[in-house]
This record gives sequence, C-alpha cells and structure tokens, in this order.
Amino acid sequence: MTSIDVQDLTKEFGGRRAVDRLTFSVRPGRVTGFLGPNGAGKSTTMRLVLGLDRPTAGSATIGGRPYPELREPLRHVGALLDAQAAHGSRTARDHLRVLAASNRIPDRRADEVLEETGLSSVARRRVRTYSLGMRQRLGIAAALLGDPEVIMLDEPSNGLDPEGIVWIRTLLRRLAGEGRTVLVSSHLMNETASFADHLVVLGRGRLLADTPMRDFIHARVQPRVRIRTTDPVALTSALARHGHDAEEHADGHWTVDGARVDDIGRIASAAGLPVLELAAEEGTLEQAYFDLTDSETEFTAQSQEA
Amino acid sequence: MELTPVLRSEWLKIRTLRSLPGALLALFAATVAFSAIAGVSDASDPGFDPLFASLSGVIPGQIAAVSFGAVAVSSEFHQGALRLSLAAVPRRGRWFAAKAAVIAVPAFLVGLVTALAALLAARAGLGPAAVGLSTGEQVRGVVGCGLYLMLMALFAAGIAALLRSGVATLSLLVPFILVVSFVIGDATGTVADFLPDKAGQLVLRETYDGTLGPWSGLAVTALWTAAALLAGAWRLRRRDA
Repeated sequence: MTSIDVQDLTKEFGGRRAVDRLTFSVRPGRVTGFLGPNGAGKSTTMRLVLGLDRPTAGSATIGGRPYPELREPLRHVGALLDAQAAHGSRTARDHLRVLAASNRIPDRRADEVLEETGLSSVARRRVRTYSLGMRQRLGIAAALLGDPEVIMLDEPSNGLDPEGIVWIRTLLRRLAGEGRTVLVSSHLMNETASFADHLVVLGRGRLLADTPMRDFIHARVQPRVRIRTTDPVALTSALARHGHDAEEHADGHWTVDGARVDDIGRIASAAGLPVLELAAEEGTLEQAYFDLTDSETEFTAQSQEA
Repeated sequence: MELTPVLRSEWLKIRTLRSLPGALLALFAATVAFSAIAGVSDASDPGFDPLFASLSGVIPGQIAAVSFGAVAVSSEFHQGALRLSLAAVPRRGRWFAAKAAVIAVPAFLVGLVTALAALLAARAGLGPAAVGLSTGEQVRGVVGCGLYLMLMALFAAGIAALLRSGVATLSLLVPFILVVSFVIGDATGTVADFLPDKAGQLVLRETYDGTLGPWSGLAVTALWTAAALLAGAWRLRRRDA
C-alpha cells in the first residue's frame, strides 16, 4: 500500500527551522487532517514530500521511494499546493492537458476531472476569469488528473462556497473510502473535524500530535452531559448523592462534567424527575486543538523567559 | 521519465499561451517591415552592404525573439506555476532541456521564414543594388539569420531562468540590444565584436572584416547562449522551487 513516510525531516530557511525533525506516516484508506497555525510548516512539509524543496536533513518517501524517482509521478501522487498556479491566459482544459501530456495521461482524463469538479461548463474559459473557488476546484481537478493513490491538498476549502465545502467533504471521504492515502491541511477546525479520521498536528515545525481524531479529542476535552428539567433543586440533590457536580447555565440548562449520559439518565429516572432534554456533549476538535496549543504556547513562553 | 511526453507537454504550453505565438508573429511582421523599408533607402553609400540592408529588420525584430524566449520561461515563475510543472516532471534538467527545445525549434523555423521573406521584400526595393549578391551569400544570410534568432531566444530563456523573472530579463536585454550594441556599434576591432548580438550579426553581412567571420561570429553567440542556459539550469537545479 502507498503511504507517505516522513523521517526526521528538517528544513531550515536561513537559520530558521521551518520543519524540525518531523517523523510521521500518512496511511491509506483514511483522511489525515494536517493541522497547525499559519507558519507551522505544513506547506513546507508538503513541498519537501514532493521534492520541490531540498530537506536540510531527513527524508520523505512515497510508497518507499523519494518523489523525484517516481516514473510519471502524477499517476501516483496528486497535489494541490497553490490554486493560483494555473496561468491566467490558458483555458482550464488546456491547463490540464499540459499536465496530462507530461505524464502520458490521456486528454480524456482532463474532461473527466473537469466534470467531477463541476467545471465542465467553463472548461474553455481562461483561468483569469475564474473566481477563487473555481481556481480551487481546478487545482483539485489537477490533483485528481492521474487517478493517483496518494492525494495531498493544501487548504482545499479556501474560497469555496458552502456548497463547495460540502462537495469537498464528500469527495475526501470517497477518496479515502476507495483506499487512497489522503492528506489535507487546514487551519479550520470544524471543517477538518467534518472529514478527518486521523490527525497530524504541527506547531513551529515540530510534531505535536499524530493520533486518530476521536482519541485526540477524548484525551483533551472531557465529555459532559447536558440536561434540562422542571425541578432543578431535585436534580442537583439527586446528582450530588451520586457524586456529580452540576453547573447551571443562563438559559436554564445544566451541565455535568465528566459524566456519561447513560448514568445521568438513570439517576434522573430513579429520582422521578421530569426530563425535558438530555444529551451528551462531545468535545469539539477546536476545544481539543486549543487545549493542545495553549499548553504548547505556555511551554514556549516559559522556555523563552528562562 | 521519457523525454517525448515532456516535449509534448512543453510544446502544448507554448501553443496555448497566446502571447507566445504572438511574439513569433511579431518577429515576422517587424523584421519583414523594417527590411522592406531598408530596401527603399539610399544605397549609394560606399560602405553599403546589400545583404545586411535586406536583413536589417532583424535588429529591431530580434526583440520579439528575445521576448519569446524570456516569456516562455518566465511564465513558469509566476505564482506557483513552477512547482506544478516540477511536480509533474521532477527531473529538472530534463524539464529544462525540453523547455529549451520547444523554444529553439519554433524560433529557428520562424526565423528562417522571416529571413527569407525579409530578403525578398528588401530585394524588391533594392533592385539593381542587390544584383551583386550571390546565391551562396543569400542562403548563408537566411540560414544564419534563423540560427541567430534561435540563439537570441535561447539566450533570453537562459537569462530568464537565472533571474527567475521576465521583467528583469527584458529590462536587461532590450536596452542592451538596442542601446549598448548600437552605441559601441560600428567600433569594430574591439571587444564589442564579441558581444552576443554583435558577433552573431556578422552572418547577416556580405562583407566583414576583423577577427570574426560569419560562422565563427555565430559560434561566439552560441557560446554566450550555452553559458546563459547552463547558468539558468544551474539555478533551477540548485534552488528550492
């Protein structure tokens, strides 16, 4: 199977480390979200994987081989780095035909990916007339051109309209479902949460996390239970008897930290409480991410003071 | 990776960027027009060279050849275009060789047709002043002109890859060709004879004096071009895309 393997990858730009001894793997059959603030080294890592930048140290391979050694690489790896890369004076179709020709991909594929990305009707228009969202779709079309097993997209939802965002989510899920290796960078948490199975998180060029998304959230954000009742006094005393602390909120609902909905439901039922609402509140990726980066910022702030 | 698909892709790039076929059309039109004007000018000067007069449209016309070479390369240095190109063809040396080939061939062919048309247009105006030209001289002038324009286009391509910018390349080469060479122009027997454009233009003359002849002059231009292409390739291979 084709994985992306990054080993001790380091890249310095004039003494500044953009990527710092990074080691991780991106496995097939799932969508890996590549997270981190701007300047964390996500795009640099992608360029290093594609052999566009030379690493200062370490290596990046695709299916065990360095990218520049791939024969007809577009048939193995499709990447979207910069939606502005297409020349404004070319038509979208010509732009794709140029790329296809270099890797002996038939022109038919250009029409197929234009269809797939919803650009068929504007395929013969010059790229300069395209909106940002349309360029983004063209960039994705270029990545899909060679029907590759590995797909790397840098901020693909940039400039997409709400419909486009739903489209890309479905597309990413489908590509992973077909067994492909999918790496998608983003700084939008809710967006990433909607399509990623696995996360690789960077901060200042270093690896902060490489875990399944569920585990990442559960390890950092305590789940809680949301409950609403007509009798708050009876509720709090019933909860207190079972060792739970309830917190009241402005609109009259209560939350119980670190509890499971199964337990709270039983307690309420045993106490004969009329329950108007009972729900498990899962932690969000955003909460988990900020928990991670906050501790990271604290750490770096302290080490700078020291 | 084989070279043929890369050549096809690069050739498609040239064809699908309107300004590039446009530059070749401008090369033809400007050269022929200026040569036709030279054909009806005064031919009584004792130093008059009918072959050079006929092909003199190349002096302004070569700007279009230089633009062709510069823009063909510099369009890759726009936004992330180079990254996309090198992701498709990671062998940078091979990629640049294909790029040079698809600049060289059309520049040479259009140069050849242009020189022939310019010669015919100018001779129609020169009339008796051009009868002294031998067939050999005219063939040498036309073929040499095609080669010269090809070398200038490639020279510009090499410089554009070195400077990674079309604007920088053209603002270096256009004043160089129009001003520097023109100012030190007729001072033959100096180092100016070995400038890339001056040396190569000897092939356009019926008579010549000095150290360089028509073919050795073209060889000097070829050396300049080779140096520019190697410098461009070196920068391309060394740098992060």
